[in-house]
Amino acid sequence: MASPLEQFEIKAIAPIEVGGLDISFTNSSAAMVATLVLGTALLVLGMSRASVVPGRIQSIAEMSYEFIAGLLSDTVGAEGKRYFPFVFTLFMFILIGNLLGLLPYSFTFTSHIIVTFAMAITVFIGVTILGLVKHKMHFFSFFVPPGVPLAMWPLLIPIEIISYLSRPISLSVRLFANMLAGHTLLKVIGGFVFGLGAITFGVGGLLPLALISVLTGLEVVIAFLQAYVFAILTCLYINDALHLH
Amino acid sequence: MSGVGLALRLGVDFVAGVVVGVGIGLLLDWWLGSSPAMLIVFFLLGAAAGTFNVFRTASGQGGAVGFKQARDAEKDADGTDGSDKKREGNARDDKRDD
Repeated sequence: MASPLEQFEIKAIAPIEVGGLDISFTNSSAAMVATLVLGTALLVLGMSRASVVPGRIQSIAEMSYEFIAGLLSDTVGAEGKRYFPFVFTLFMFILIGNLLGLLPYSFTFTSHIIVTFAMAITVFIGVTILGLVKHKMHFFSFFVPPGVPLAMWPLLIPIEIISYLSRPISLSVRLFANMLAGHTLLKVIGGFVFGLGAITFGVGGLLPLALISVLTGLEVVIAFLQAYVFAILTCLYINDALHLH
Repeated sequence: MSGVGLALRLGVDFVAGVVVGVGIGLLLDWWLGSSPAMLIVFFLLGAAAGTFNVFRTASGQGGAVGFKQARDAEKDADGTDGSDKKREGNARDDKRDD
């Protein structure tokens, strides 16, 4: 029987090698391109015939806009509007990637730590530069917890710095682990449908089949929730960089 | 669901602190050749940072998901999870916009 981890295998569709570097167009790249095309199409088509009473696609586009705009104004405030394109792109990319990955025979690129880590480190570096540009050297006061006696500083500052450096790791691992675990679980239970069904003339397969239906619904929720968590944490980090403590 | 989500979030937060601490410790040891002194020091600092992360997430201070909502929830004096409240709030907003 096929391994439940086989779905995460990277396969080169068009092998490309430049100067000894493997930059092949893989199934992961294909999924990302599909995500970009679908996300762009959703927004462009949704708003091309903008009417006062929105149609289906237009209301999806408007709802996602309002969702992220509300998130930013809730967490960052009025000056958060400037970072809307970044957070919105990130959110839509992760959300559509997660949802596309749920389709049979597709590929979930968010189940690869390198992809989520690349996004998290981009957020981390961007936010750090933002804080440095905005507050100059004052940014480093961020690492001094407020209301702490001077004697505790040598101990607390390294802890705060490590805590700050751990942000991209927890941000990326959270998304990656959720997607990896969810998709593995789906495949394992899917294996039960065949395994139990084959020896009991199909009857035994019904229970895991019911379970997998429920789990697929749960996975849709998780796909949305993890994109939301990634977006809101990005907003909070932007807020931290802008306002420090 | 939200309980499992919170537990996973806390677990990841703690482990991330330890991972960064151990990583810095190993790098410093490799650079200074002081194995294992730096590893021990930074493992402890990393564990402390991880605990800090968990404390912040759990108590709803900066860097925690939906901390603003959690504070609002405290004001409303109901013990629900802040992120759940947030989603309900959005659902309500969406309905009003329709």
